[in-house]
Amino acid sequence: MSTSDPRRAAAWIGAGRTLTGMDSVITVEGLVKSYGSFTALHGLDLQVARGEVHGFLGPNGAGKSTTIRVLLGLLRADAGRVEVLGGDPWHDVVELHRRLAYVPGDVSLWPALTGGEAIDLLGNLRGGLDETRRAHLIERFELDTTKRGRQYSKGNKQKVALVAALCSDVELLILDEPTSGLDPLMEMVFQEEIEAEKARGRSVLLSSHILSEAEALADRVSIIRDGVVVETGTLDQLRHRTRTQVRATLERAPHTVEELALLEDAHLDGTHVSGAVEADRVGEAMALLGRYGITSLTVSPPSLEDLFLRHYGEGNSVAGDAGHVGRHAKPEA
Amino acid sequence: MRARLTGARPLLHVALTQDRVNIAPWIALISVLSASSVLVYDWVFPDPEAQRILQLNITANPAMALIFGKPIDLTTADGFNAWRAGALGAFFAGMMAIFIVVRNSRADEDSGRAELVATGVVGRAARPAVAVALAFIAAVLLGVVSALVTIAFGGAVADSVMLSATFTASAMLFAGVGIIAAQIGSDARSASTVAVSVLAGLFVVRGYIDSSGAPDWATWLTPFGWLQETRPAVDNVWWPLLLVVGLAVALVAVGLTLHARRDFGMGLVPPRPGPGRAGMVGNVWGLALRLHRPTMVAWMVGFVVLGTLLGFLANTLTDVIAENPGIGQVLASGAVSQDDLVGEFLLTMIRILGIYAAVHGVQIVMRLYAEETEDRADPMLGGAISRATHLASHAVIAFVSTAVGMLLAASVMGLVADATGDTIGFGDVLGQAVATIPAVWVLVGLAIAVVGAEPSKRLIGWMAVVATFALTILGPLFDLDEWVLDISPLWHVPNVGATDPAWFGLVGLAVVAALFTAVGFVGYRRRDIA
Repeated sequence: MSTSDPRRAAAWIGAGRTLTGMDSVITVEGLVKSYGSFTALHGLDLQVARGEVHGFLGPNGAGKSTTIRVLLGLLRADAGRVEVLGGDPWHDVVELHRRLAYVPGDVSLWPALTGGEAIDLLGNLRGGLDETRRAHLIERFELDTTKRGRQYSKGNKQKVALVAALCSDVELLILDEPTSGLDPLMEMVFQEEIEAEKARGRSVLLSSHILSEAEALADRVSIIRDGVVVETGTLDQLRHRTRTQVRATLERAPHTVEELALLEDAHLDGTHVSGAVEADRVGEAMALLGRYGITSLTVSPPSLEDLFLRHYGEGNSVAGDAGHVGRHAKPEA
Repeated sequence: MRARLTGARPLLHVALTQDRVNIAPWIALISVLSASSVLVYDWVFPDPEAQRILQLNITANPAMALIFGKPIDLTTADGFNAWRAGALGAFFAGMMAIFIVVRNSRADEDSGRAELVATGVVGRAARPAVAVALAFIAAVLLGVVSALVTIAFGGAVADSVMLSATFTASAMLFAGVGIIAAQIGSDARSASTVAVSVLAGLFVVRGYIDSSGAPDWATWLTPFGWLQETRPAVDNVWWPLLLVVGLAVALVAVGLTLHARRDFGMGLVPPRPGPGRAGMVGNVWGLALRLHRPTMVAWMVGFVVLGTLLGFLANTLTDVIAENPGIGQVLASGAVSQDDLVGEFLLTMIRILGIYAAVHGVQIVMRLYAEETEDRADPMLGGAISRATHLASHAVIAFVSTAVGMLLAASVMGLVADATGDTIGFGDVLGQAVATIPAVWVLVGLAIAVVGAEPSKRLIGWMAVVATFALTILGPLFDLDEWVLDISPLWHVPNVGATDPAWFGLVGLAVVAALFTAVGFVGYRRRDIA
């Protein structure tokens, strides 16, 4: 019901658009890409500001990799405007690629080449490779560079690609699910290194479906669904648009659930109450519950996972009305 | 044994449904090879006179025996078929079997799919056994289809069945070679290289024995010779097939034993640690060179071997002419001079070299597309190199390597021919080889065009090589119209030894090769990367 409020919907759409005046490293407007009769991207919009880590979230098949491959000039856009580092990724391939590094989600190495050879090759193909950084990263990721491509495990292949990208002297990192296959320790190393990259002023487009990673690293996130970005903004902004979960045990049970109309999806089981409330009405909700005497209380702001599930989980209590997404996706497209 | 083969039946079922699209073209190719000779024979060689000339032409050109084997009896359609399709069909059947076995055993380990299977309730020997079983099924199917089609087009029943049975036996034999190679190689590509090298090596040795006037017992030195000893359409001797099948079974047993001793995903030779730094592979050109290096080395060895054999062969021509009274009569009548025969023989040999070089070049170009489908082009093209540079790094190698191979083979051939006799001189060989390079480049250029612009149609690159082979080597025998023969780029190569060589052919070839290459580069710039 709250989502049908026209004022909120307008503000919500506006938030994705009003990034004017921002120095952006990636600007995508109305990007369309089809493979034969299958349309992978239906008018996708995306903006990544200089110096930010931008989380690009969505499940497999939503169009993340297709978008990234258009940004890299591997695919030609059917329609829309795409700008990377001020250039056209399809035409200015060589100049742009000197200034960016890419890590694919599914790293395939040359079977007969060692990891060290692959790192040097890929580094040389970019802006050039920083020897100190190379040595530092190989040590941090605990990588044996003398093994052949075919001997590496999935995680180690991923590390080779990561080291090659991170030790390149570039402005923009485009990472497509870069940590698939990494163990939790390496995942932590990865997060620290990305923080360090950010501190150096580099911009990062981080496509992921590991939400904790995005939550830890991303300044802003864009959520993609069926080839369209359905939400974009800082985590706080996104949270603000989503309801907060409230659980409480009360001293006196309300007579009917209608007394708690302020809570959406309210559920009453004796003195146990659960439900959701708009972010700006949490105070009111506390006052309401206070009348019944609160013995225990949990108020959880929505996690990224909740936001994500709101767009993807069907029939999920957090997602609320499933029609919501479709209605908002439209003006965005 | 039963436990070791647990799970083989459902695996075989999957393999059959998965692989039949890959097997069907081979069966079709070989069946057409056999049926077409029966079909055209009566039409092209209708009377005893035409048949006699055919026999003379082939006998007077030992280079033909190098490819097809010694003609036994070309006066019947079935005898002609046994000559034209026998050795070549056995060669293709061997290729089919090798690819089936490697694809279904080793390649699955590389892709990781075998890991899913091997961890199921599946016996240790089940996977390689399924690969071999699939190859055997394909072998039998090949025999049945080829025999039926040949008979349908007019082949005699007993002769066609005998000939087709040699295809089946050859496929079974090389399934055995394939399963051993799959255990030795460190990945599918090197396993195929090992097995195909064995196949090609045996084929060339067989060809040399057939064309050099070697003593009769020498035929028994290669399994291809055993197959020839069945003498299809002449004597139809069945028992040599037992030898071939027996050897096949023995090789399979060795392969399965090796498989049981080997770690999953590894070859027999354990991988050694390599350099931690890039060295030569630090840039696009170095990488391309490194990727193609193993293949190039193998092919260069092949060029040297082929050049040596052709060099020795060059001087057998005079013996052949001396031994054959028919040719003597023709020479005496003045219709053809000995120089003409020598010239024709040299042309055929250099054309064979040209086709061999073209296969090498097309293979290099196709590798570029494999890099793309195996997801290794993305990180390269995600770097600061243009599409043109990426394509050029492979294209240049294809052009240079084919040219170097031609020069190498011709030099060796010329040296050997010069040293062992005076039929053919060093300069003749080298000159003709140099003149043939642009024609090879046309085929390489066509492969660049399809891989660059329209990789879904990349089979055209290979079909052009097969068509060139058929038109150039067999076309003249069939009295095909000039415009049909003109489709083959090799047909436009001037005869350097002639009094007035048609040099403008070279210009045409160079222009066509450049055009094809340009199409490839423009197309590669414009299309999506797979």
